[in-house]
Amino acid sequence: MKVFLTLIATFTFSSLTYAAEIKLQNPPINTEAPNFVAINSYGKTIQLSDLKGSPVILEWTNHDCPYVARHYNENNMQSVQKIARDAGIVWLSIISSTPGDQGHVSPEKANELTDSRGASPTHVLLDESGEIGMLYGAKTTPHMYMIDANGILRYKGAIDDIGRGMQFFNTAFKEAKNYVSSQINQLLAKQSLAINSTTAYGCSVKYNYD
Amino acid sequence: MDRGGNAPPFLLQWFNMIRMKNLFLACSLFLCTLAASNPVETGHARASLITNLQDSQQESFYVGVRLEMQEGWHTYWENPGDSGSPFDAKWNVAEGLIVENVEWPTPITIPYPPLMTFGYEGDVVFPFKVFRAIDSDLSSISVDFDFLICADICIPEKASLTLDLSSATPNALVDAAVQNLPAKIIQTQSIVEGNSLKTKFKFSQPIKEAYLFPRQDNLFSYTPTQQFVSLGDNSYEITVPVLKDEVASFSGILSINGEGFQIEEQLESTASMSLWQAILFALIGGLILNLMPCVFPVISLKVLSFVSMGGDDNSKIRNHALSFVGGVMSTFLSIATALIIIRSTGSMIGWGYQLQSPVVVGILTLIMLGIGLILLTNINFASGLTTFGSSVQSRNDYSGSFFTGVLAVVVASPCTAPFMGAAIGYALLQPSFATLPIFLALGLGFAGPYLLLALKPEWISALPKPGAWMETLKQFFAFPMIATALWLMWVFMVQTSGDALILLLLLGLILGIAIWMIATFKGRWKWLGMLVTLLAAVQIFNNLPENTSGLLADSSAEQWNLAIESDLQAQDQAYLINFTAAWCITCQTNEKTAFARDKVKEYLIDQNITYVKADWTNRNEEIAIGLARYERTGIPLYIFWKPGMPGSKILPAVLTEDLLIKSMQ
Repeated sequence: MKVFLTLIATFTFSSLTYAAEIKLQNPPINTEAPNFVAINSYGKTIQLSDLKGSPVILEWTNHDCPYVARHYNENNMQSVQKIARDAGIVWLSIISSTPGDQGHVSPEKANELTDSRGASPTHVLLDESGEIGMLYGAKTTPHMYMIDANGILRYKGAIDDIGRGMQFFNTAFKEAKNYVSSQINQLLAKQSLAINSTTAYGCSVKYNYD
Repeated sequence: MDRGGNAPPFLLQWFNMIRMKNLFLACSLFLCTLAASNPVETGHARASLITNLQDSQQESFYVGVRLEMQEGWHTYWENPGDSGSPFDAKWNVAEGLIVENVEWPTPITIPYPPLMTFGYEGDVVFPFKVFRAIDSDLSSISVDFDFLICADICIPEKASLTLDLSSATPNALVDAAVQNLPAKIIQTQSIVEGNSLKTKFKFSQPIKEAYLFPRQDNLFSYTPTQQFVSLGDNSYEITVPVLKDEVASFSGILSINGEGFQIEEQLESTASMSLWQAILFALIGGLILNLMPCVFPVISLKVLSFVSMGGDDNSKIRNHALSFVGGVMSTFLSIATALIIIRSTGSMIGWGYQLQSPVVVGILTLIMLGIGLILLTNINFASGLTTFGSSVQSRNDYSGSFFTGVLAVVVASPCTAPFMGAAIGYALLQPSFATLPIFLALGLGFAGPYLLLALKPEWISALPKPGAWMETLKQFFAFPMIATALWLMWVFMVQTSGDALILLLLLGLILGIAIWMIATFKGRWKWLGMLVTLLAAVQIFNNLPENTSGLLADSSAEQWNLAIESDLQAQDQAYLINFTAAWCITCQTNEKTAFARDKVKEYLIDQNITYVKADWTNRNEEIAIGLARYERTGIPLYIFWKPGMPGSKILPAVLTEDLLIKSMQ
């Protein structure tokens, strides 16, 4: 705890330079999505630029985060995944939790989670260093990004519109407007989306900050 | 006030628990309880409902939800920052009680680099104001309090709290929480420059730390620290990185040394005008400025002197015209430089600001009076003393032309021509590199006709032939000068007092004698009168009283304040705001030709439009801030709004009664 408080103090009172080193990027909408290379839960190297030709959806996740847990427990995330996969979209679930923090999993555990929850991501990417998360400016779990078949970033933000505030835990998903599943057709048409940037909600991404 | 449905709250809670069984499984491990009691252990906090109700007759009081969070855990402010969530409170109260929305305490930054969240740690009380019908019974008050509590991980927890108001003992923690609420509004002035919002504010004590917590999400990025600099003179500027190019308005809490202040900021988009557009406006505005009432007499004298040069050789005309242009340009340059220097100290300034000083007004009065007397008495001032305007007699004295240019700008300062306000407003709110070109363009516009004359001296033959009529006209122009002096005397009186005006008139008398002496006597001691005038002026101007009561006060108008627009809009009340000052002659003209007319007054009453007046005769920082909201630094400025309009609109700077009424329809 002392270490933690010292950290808070350090960051509150000084250290612009330190902050700059781990600054979150903020990739602009309707421009080329930043490329990255990652290892999936089967040890395979995945490069975003190799996926050109198919649209890609990025989902930042942390299975122990109550927000993510609710999306999976009520089969909401899985149904969005299914709609996307059926439309030929590549779905990448990305875990940026640092080792030792909530949501960090071994590759085996990641695969087990996929099976036990009936999820259907194309790949689960393990981003222990948080590099990809910061490249995309992922702040919360869940945090969603949609990239079209030409590699253009079309959406960043929340998965739906019920997240800010505690009503999230009391609102049925069928009452929500899902920004991802409702805009898949425009994504396939490589168009600029009607809603292209929202404020993501949820738990913070558990980056390595010490 | 119920949870929304018809089912009793208990059932709904139970339903929620089933629906989110996995979530609340975690909760129940920590003895999470849903029973209505007080206090409640929620898992990582103890929640309780407390009040400051003292006496059973009180019509308003506070209840507070107190959260005592375990060390290392925190909950969130209304804008939680990069992640998290504010709490949700659903009240269940008896009829006759109204619980208002929470009054958020000042948050702290809770950084999880590279993320930043805003919230509270430790022991916090969230105060809710309660209003009570006086005949209602004091009974129990209950709340379902859902909140997200986080350390490294986040857990939604909840407490159903009930407090019996009839038997509750007042808890000092509620008073303390209310006392510490960020209640005061701090005056700020913000602009967006590049990727940053720069917000200026004043604070009378040294600042150790400051942080601006924006209420709206998705406008700013949340950094571990926000750069703030002292601008001197108790002024500070804090920089917040913005996410979007356009920030029209925002609100939030400015935390200074841990103390919170409310910010309500309306920004005009700085991209509303480009530099080139502003320069063009300045050129046109400067040109029109020649025709404004305060400048006209001086300018017409200059024109007369050119007329008298008809038939002279062109190079002389050119040199005189260029001298005049030089005088104009160097004065505008000096004004721009002075404004930039004053602005760098953090003061809010505006066009015509120099006339907010009664000393400047007094000196201008004497200058106008002096010119008037010189014109009437036809004194031929020896070279060496500035021959204000009267270069008719001293054709070879180019310094005379130069100083006429200076004088023209000095007397032009109380005027704002159409187009000019927008251009100067832009100039003064922009970085220095943009200020200079705009002021130079203004000068160029103002001096335009004479510059043209310098280029084409032969065009002077288009003017009437010189003759005896000029002497007559010149003498006649003494009267507009004296009229200007009279107006300045009125300004002086509004700024100071009637007694001070008598002293100024006395100075005028001494000046008259001094000018008579110069005209009548020979030798060095004819200047004695001037010396006496100077000494007397120094003595009098050093001891001027300041009038704060505001003589422009108008019983039909509401007093302006910074919050009046948002207040009136909140009440759906249409309004017309008149930013005016005694020294602003365009404003005074508009008063007479529009605002004071019965037709206008009747229209305002018929349409139920609140008339608000902001009097800027004396220096007033708040009004300067108010003007800056409209990207203006000078007056006149007229603002109109009625329900249904998305935002208030700026009315034309020169008004007639018909134009004023038409622009409000």
